[in-house]
Amino acid sequence: MSVEPVEQDKPPVFKRWKGWYWLVICVLLVQIIAYSLISNSFR
Amino acid sequence: MNLLDWIVLFGVLGLIVLYGVAKSKNTSSMEGFLVGNRSMPWWTVCLSIMATQASAVTFLSTPGQAYNDGMRFLQFYFGLPIAMVILCITAVPLYRKLKVFTAYEYLESRFDLKVRSLAAFFFLILRGFSVGITVFAPSLILSTILGWRLDLTTLLIGCTVMIYTITGGSKAVSLTQKYQLMIIMGGMVVAGAIAFYNTPDLSFGETFTYAGTVGKMNLVNFNFDPKDRYNIWSGLIGGLFLFLSYFGADQSQVGRYLAGSSLTESRLGLIFNGLLKVPMQFIILYIGILVFMFYQFNQPPLIHNRSLWERVITNDQSGVFHNLETQYDGVFKAKREQSIALTDALRKDDQQKIDETTNRIMQLDIQTDTIRNRAKAQIFKATGERGNDTDFVFINFVMSWLPHGLIGLLLAVVFSAAMSSTASELNALTSTTTVDIYKRSIVKTADDHHYVIASKWITAGWAVFAMAFAMLASHAENLIQLVNIVGSLFYGTLLGIFLSAFYIKYIKSTAVFISAIIGEAIVIYVWAATDVAFLFYNFAGCAAVIGIGIVIQFVMNRMSPK
Repeated sequence: MSVEPVEQDKPPVFKRWKGWYWLVICVLLVQIIAYSLISNSFR
Repeated sequence: MNLLDWIVLFGVLGLIVLYGVAKSKNTSSMEGFLVGNRSMPWWTVCLSIMATQASAVTFLSTPGQAYNDGMRFLQFYFGLPIAMVILCITAVPLYRKLKVFTAYEYLESRFDLKVRSLAAFFFLILRGFSVGITVFAPSLILSTILGWRLDLTTLLIGCTVMIYTITGGSKAVSLTQKYQLMIIMGGMVVAGAIAFYNTPDLSFGETFTYAGTVGKMNLVNFNFDPKDRYNIWSGLIGGLFLFLSYFGADQSQVGRYLAGSSLTESRLGLIFNGLLKVPMQFIILYIGILVFMFYQFNQPPLIHNRSLWERVITNDQSGVFHNLETQYDGVFKAKREQSIALTDALRKDDQQKIDETTNRIMQLDIQTDTIRNRAKAQIFKATGERGNDTDFVFINFVMSWLPHGLIGLLLAVVFSAAMSSTASELNALTSTTTVDIYKRSIVKTADDHHYVIASKWITAGWAVFAMAFAMLASHAENLIQLVNIVGSLFYGTLLGIFLSAFYIKYIKSTAVFISAIIGEAIVIYVWAATDVAFLFYNFAGCAAVIGIGIVIQFVMNRMSPK
C-alpha cells in the first residue's frame, strides 16, 4: 500500500463537486415531492 | 419454451461469457485481476454498480412485491442518493489516495491488523452467505419454471460466471455487467409494455388512476412507525445507513468504483447511480403494477408457481383443489365486471360509482385472498411446501403471455442478473480473501504472479461454495427480504467501524475491536428477540459500535498510566 499525491480531480460540467452533490439531493427531493403528489392524487 | 427461445437464451449467455473471456487481456497482475488496472470510465463504473446491486431476485421479486403490496417498496431506496454524496466526499477520495485493493486494507492504516481482519471476517460471513442466496434464488425459480433439476440451474449460473471471473477478473466483471444491465432493463421494459398493451380499454395515464383507486400507488408514507418496514423514515434513515455500509464498506461495491480510471470517474459513477437508482426502481415496480392491471382483466392463476400447482392438482383425488379453482374463477369473473365498471366510472368521473365499484372490488379481493390462502394451506398439507408465490408472479406472467423469442430474452434477463451480481460478489470475496487474509497473514512475501494464481483458485473455491450452498439451501418466505436482512445484521457494525475510522480520531484500535464484537452481539439479539424493522438494524449496529467504542476508549484512557 503506497501513499501518493492526490489524483487530478476536476468535475465536469460544474466548477466544483458541490454542484454535482446539490444536483443529486435536488433530484431526490423533486422525486419525493412528485411521488407524494402521485400518492395523493391517485388515491 | 420453443427452439427460438432456447436460441435467444443460450445465444445471449454464450455471447456474455465469450465477451468476458475476450476482454481478459492485461489481467495477469494483482492490479489487473482485482481492480481491472483501475481503467474504467464512469459510465462503466455506474452500470457495474447498478448491475451488482440489482440481482436476479430484484427483477423476479420486485414486480411481484408491487403486484401484492403496491409501490411502497420504492421508499427503501430514498436513502441511496444521500449515501452516494457522503461517500463521494469521504470514503472514495481516501480509498483512491491510499491505492487500496479492498476497503479493509484502509482499516489497518487507521487502526491495526486485528480490526482489519475482523472487518474482513464480517464481510466474508455476510457476503459468503449472500452469494449462496444470489445463486440459489434464481436457480430455484428457474428450475421450477423450466422443469429442470435445481442443481442443473445452479451449475449453469455458477459455472458460466466462474469461467469469466477466473479468466478476466474484475475487468471482465465490469465490462460484462455493462451489457447485462442493458439486456435486463430492455427485457423488463418489453415485458411491461406487453402487459400494458394486453390490458384492454386503458390508456397509460388511466393505469395510474386505476392503480391508485385500488390502493396500489402508496409511494410515500410519512407516518413514522419503527415496525413498519417501508415508510419514508425507514427509507431515509435506515436506508441511508444500509447504503452507506453497502457502498462504503462492502467490497462487492467498493471493488466496482475502485476500478474507475481516476477519482473523477469513480465519483461520477456513484453520482449517476444516485441519480438513476430511484427512477429505475420506480420503473421495475411499475412493471409489477402493469402486470397487476393486466390481471384485473385477464384470468390470473390461483397459484403463480405453476409447477407446484400442477403437481398438487394432478394428485387431487378429493377434488379440493379443483373446487378452489372453480371458486376462484367465479370470483375473478365478478371482479372483472367490477373492474370494467370502475374504468367506466373513472372516465365519467362519477365519484359515487367509483366508490361503489372500489368497495365491491375490495370485497372480492378479500374473497380472492381467502381462497388463495386456503389453496396455500392445502398445498402445504399435501407437499410440505409453502405456497407464498410473490417471486413467481412476474416470471409466470412472462412464461404464460409473452411471445416466443421474448420468453428466451426474459429468461436471459434473469440469468444475466444472477450472473452480474454473483460475479461481483465472487470478485469481492476473492479480493478480500487474497489481500486481507492470504497475502497479509498467510503467505506474505510471494511474487505478483503467485497471488494472481492464488486469486483464481480462491475465486473457484468461493464459486463452488456458492453453488453448494445454493443446492443445500431451503425455501425462504420472500427471497429479496432475506438477502436484505442478512446484510443488515452485519452492515451496521461494519459501518460503525468505518465511521469511527473516518471521523472519530478519539477511538483507537482495541476500543473499536471490542465495541464491534459487542455491537454485533446486540444486533443479533435485536433481530432474534424483537420485531423492530430490519432497516433499523444498520442504525442500531452503527450507533452501538461508535457509542460503546467511545465509552471503552474513555475507560481505557482513565485506566492507563500516564
